[in-house]
Amino acid sequence: MPARSLRAHLLRLLLPPIAALLAVGAVVGYYSSIEPANEAYDQALSDIAAAIAAHVRTDDTDYRLDLPPEVETALRTDRYDKMFYRVLSPSGAHIAGDDKLPVSERSTAYDARFRGEAVRIVTAPAPCGNLTCTVLVAETMVKRTRLAREFLISSLLPGILIALATLVLLWFGVGRGLGPLARLSEELKARSPRDLRPIDAAGAPEETRPLVSALNGLLDEVALAARNQQRFIANAAHQLRTPLAGLQAHTELALAQPLPESIRTQIEQVHQATMRTARLANQLLALARAEPGARGSSSDVNLRGVVEAEADGWVHQALERDVDLGFELGSAPVQGDALLLREALANLVHNAIQYSNNGGRVTVRTGQRDGQSFAEVEDDGPGIAPQERERVLERFYRVPGTRGTGSGLGLAIVREIAGGHGARMELTEGAGARGCRVALTFPHG
Amino acid sequence: MRLLIVEDDAPLASGLSRILEAEGHAVDVTERGEDAVLAASQEHFDLVILDIGLPRMDGYEVLRRLRAAEKPIPVLVLTARDAVEDRVRGLDLGADDYMVKPFAMPELTARVRALLRRSQAHGGPRIVHGPLALDTVARRAFLRNEPLELAAREWAVLEVLLAKVEKIVSKEAIIQAVAGWGEDLSPNAIEVYVSRLRSKLEPAGIKIRTVRGFGYMLEEFKPAPH
Repeated sequence: MPARSLRAHLLRLLLPPIAALLAVGAVVGYYSSIEPANEAYDQALSDIAAAIAAHVRTDDTDYRLDLPPEVETALRTDRYDKMFYRVLSPSGAHIAGDDKLPVSERSTAYDARFRGEAVRIVTAPAPCGNLTCTVLVAETMVKRTRLAREFLISSLLPGILIALATLVLLWFGVGRGLGPLARLSEELKARSPRDLRPIDAAGAPEETRPLVSALNGLLDEVALAARNQQRFIANAAHQLRTPLAGLQAHTELALAQPLPESIRTQIEQVHQATMRTARLANQLLALARAEPGARGSSSDVNLRGVVEAEADGWVHQALERDVDLGFELGSAPVQGDALLLREALANLVHNAIQYSNNGGRVTVRTGQRDGQSFAEVEDDGPGIAPQERERVLERFYRVPGTRGTGSGLGLAIVREIAGGHGARMELTEGAGARGCRVALTFPHG
Repeated sequence: MRLLIVEDDAPLASGLSRILEAEGHAVDVTERGEDAVLAASQEHFDLVILDIGLPRMDGYEVLRRLRAAEKPIPVLVLTARDAVEDRVRGLDLGADDYMVKPFAMPELTARVRALLRRSQAHGGPRIVHGPLALDTVARRAFLRNEPLELAAREWAVLEVLLAKVEKIVSKEAIIQAVAGWGEDLSPNAIEVYVSRLRSKLEPAGIKIRTVRGFGYMLEEFKPAPH
């Protein structure tokens, strides 16, 4: 989960007002529908009261209710509620009906409690001679409570549904709205670290344009810095390599002449040192070039082609050490920097030849395994002990007791370049548990 | 042969010229591209060794002007840069070969010999490789001045190898050069022709090396030490 989810943020922002609107809507809806309904029920009670009032009889001193039993039964019958009534004389004395039904002075329709239940009471006047008697009719609240519940639900439900729909739409809407950003980040993720081309802003929606253009600005600056570094490296290469070539030319010239033995030995030392320095300079430049940000362009490269183009030079290196250099080449297409890939393979072959025994065999292979392109170099030399295999990849590390004049940079360069191409680098024994095999396996596509 | 070295680094230029003089060439040195273009237009050179990183007019420009003059002088480019684009650019402009500094002198002299041989072979009916001589017009071969019998296919394979001394020639390339249209030549057949050539040439010190899994390489002829 991201630290600040846009969805959560929007929800936090929207939920309280939605809830408040929902509550207000429900209250307004409830009261606007419950009041007419209550009035209708009150009207029905009032009608019953009027019907009872028609049965109040008066003679000189006495009032009585002359209610036939079947009428009373009919009056008291209701599907849901219990019904009560009471008739009061003009002076307020009880005449008939349910004693103790509460009387109100203030209102003709009111709520009260009777026999432990909440009741609604409606009063109606009944003519008693010149005076007026009062009829009270009461019913329990079952119908009304039920109606109120129904009104409450029916006024709340649409609001809740609308709120839920809003939240769902918000959730997916954010996902959809952020779709272009997700595509942008997919595109960035899929990029190789060497690809510093600007992002295509044409397909991006209006709102993400500033982000895209800011990213492109950054990519531009990185590319510029990389180009500057590249130029610096090229200059450094020129500055170092030309005098080294001169030094090499003159030591070789000197060695081609008859010389006293002591001087010959010294000049040979100078020559060796020159060769080492030249190789070291090349390797340092390769390492600098392999750094992220300094890399050149990525393009379709076939490792087979890289090997074929370099095979001449490698065979001559091998001949000098009497090593049998062989090839098993299949097509191995990869995406990458041709120059760096060449450097990586050249280092592997150079190492294999250097550390092989005289008369040894070195084999360079390219091809595809399980749909992945690979290149590997195998020798039948002394190999690298398992406990040294991790360390030989470190810069300047050399296995103790190793002969030759290596700088210890070769495999570090290969690792750097392999890493930059997303390739896996494996050091194992060669065939028949002899020698060493270094394999680079490249990612699909 | 007459060579022109265009290199602004004085120690390297003098080293190169002394090495190439020791090989028996006449060598002129200039450190400016403008002078090189002028010299090449006025005098005959068999090969130009051209540094790319020259002050003012750089090697690419010199190369472009040499090529514009339509004189087919072979050019060996030297450069301190090894970026692929530089290499491609040099070869696109018509450089015949390309070496990245620093380089071993035997490799330089070998490449110079190969370039000179190639340019002499153009139009030249005679190919010479140590004690071996091929008369491509009469289609007759001589070894140590004795006539050498070569079957047509052997001749074709040998010609391909001679065109690229010290370079690996892949079996596929040999098959393409040797097989006629519609013919199907197996790599095994090539092995047979090469082994016949070896038995004929090795007694005279001419070596064809097998590069396992790739092809063959005719080695530079080195007289056996006595």
